[in-house]
Amino acid sequence: MKVEKEALLKTAEEMKNKGFSYLVKITAVDNISSLVVLYFLRNLNTGEEETLEVELSPVDASVPSIMHIYKAADWYERELKEMFGIEITGRSAPRLLLEKWNGIEPPLRKNFEWGKPYKAMD
Amino acid sequence: MGQALQGDGLTTKINVGPIHPSTHGVLRLVVELDGDEIVNVEPHIGFLHRGVEKLMETRNYMQDLPYVEKLDYVAPEAYSEAYISAVESALGVEVKERAQYLRVVLLELQRIASHLLWLGTFLNDLGHFFTVFMWAFADRDKILRLLQEHAGARMFYVNMRLGGLNRDVPPGFEEEVLSVLGDIEKRIPMYESYLEKNEIFMERTKGIGAISSHRAIELGVTGPVLRASGVNFDIRSSKSYYVYDKLNFKPQVVSSGDVFARYKVRMLEMKESIRLVREAIRHMPPGDAVGMPIRLIIPAPKNKEVRVYRETPRGELLIYMVAGQQGPYRVSFRSPSFINLAALPEIAKGAHYADLFAILGSLDLVIPDVDR
Repeated sequence: MKVEKEALLKTAEEMKNKGFSYLVKITAVDNISSLVVLYFLRNLNTGEEETLEVELSPVDASVPSIMHIYKAADWYERELKEMFGIEITGRSAPRLLLEKWNGIEPPLRKNFEWGKPYKAMD
Repeated sequence: MGQALQGDGLTTKINVGPIHPSTHGVLRLVVELDGDEIVNVEPHIGFLHRGVEKLMETRNYMQDLPYVEKLDYVAPEAYSEAYISAVESALGVEVKERAQYLRVVLLELQRIASHLLWLGTFLNDLGHFFTVFMWAFADRDKILRLLQEHAGARMFYVNMRLGGLNRDVPPGFEEEVLSVLGDIEKRIPMYESYLEKNEIFMERTKGIGAISSHRAIELGVTGPVLRASGVNFDIRSSKSYYVYDKLNFKPQVVSSGDVFARYKVRMLEMKESIRLVREAIRHMPPGDAVGMPIRLIIPAPKNKEVRVYRETPRGELLIYMVAGQQGPYRVSFRSPSFINLAALPEIAKGAHYADLFAILGSLDLVIPDVDR
């Protein structure tokens, strides 16, 4: 199901009220011309699956946090920021999930340059 | 039980790991304590981050297979099977019928082996139960020997091929499986009576780290942890794959949601797995189970999206893959250990420091799978 970024919070809330109470995963795909963020939701009673797809422009990409609706979103959102450089708005900025990156662009973007020397942060 | 140290409202921070006997890999926990009570736990991960998802984008479908197995070194068969079926649905390859049964046999054997390893290490985490560790390890080894007989390797099998397996099982394999299962079936009640009649074990697991079913769903926990909280959800029954529906698979659910319930679910699952393997062997048709050669690469339809849901021993694994011509354009793993670890701070809050390792152990984490 394609969702506009502005309508994401409202749609997520609606889905939760419809019984899609379980968040399976949040991830993203870099299609070069756009970034697509995917929210995998599930209704545990019926086993139905629903995916919310939010298309973003690759420059200054950001999505609102759904953590207040789905608590399980916490780590997935942090991973999204770290791996795809997507800003998560509407939540306190937590520390990055994996190690600290220093001067490295988000690794799961397609324009990631291989072989750049990695300098550990002090 | 000794009296817990009462806090005075001033908290202390304790660092656990990254190298610690109870973290099963490299995991660092920063624990904030008030007296003996846990105020907060902050897991620090990433010490084993290898960038598997990125690496896999640069190789072809079959070259990626060994990478997937290294995500979860306790149940590599479950991961390579999930990955190969994602590739199969991207390429439109049918799995041979005998291979479907054989895959179920291998997957369930792997589940028993994984739960046995968990049982041993979990009791080790609880303190002085090294005896069970030795027993469970010996039992697990019998299964590893069976898997080795088929794949040729003890830990990383790489025996899945498109449409089947790398080879059929050797003659006499079925009889050997049944005899090993008979041995293990006799051992499980022994473990249960040894532990459940043990006052220390019961005190340290009953009522510890309990989460309600509502909370479990909210936190997104998965697998045995979810079913231990009374949620009847198992991918093998709700999104049945291969022949699980023909074998009358039933999810094992316990409702108390504490550490003991997580132990109990895994013990029940082992019994159910033994039954499943026996059923699968009984109904297994003769014929061909060998898949395509490893070097054969069929170009996949570009940008095809694939979702594969699997119940691994640790919980639900979702592989989301966008197919490229030769290899995956993007592959993402929803690893069960990742989300179970994310729930640890919520589960451990308010528990005693000594119980932290019982709770951590009961989640059955595999750290390379968390970090990916």
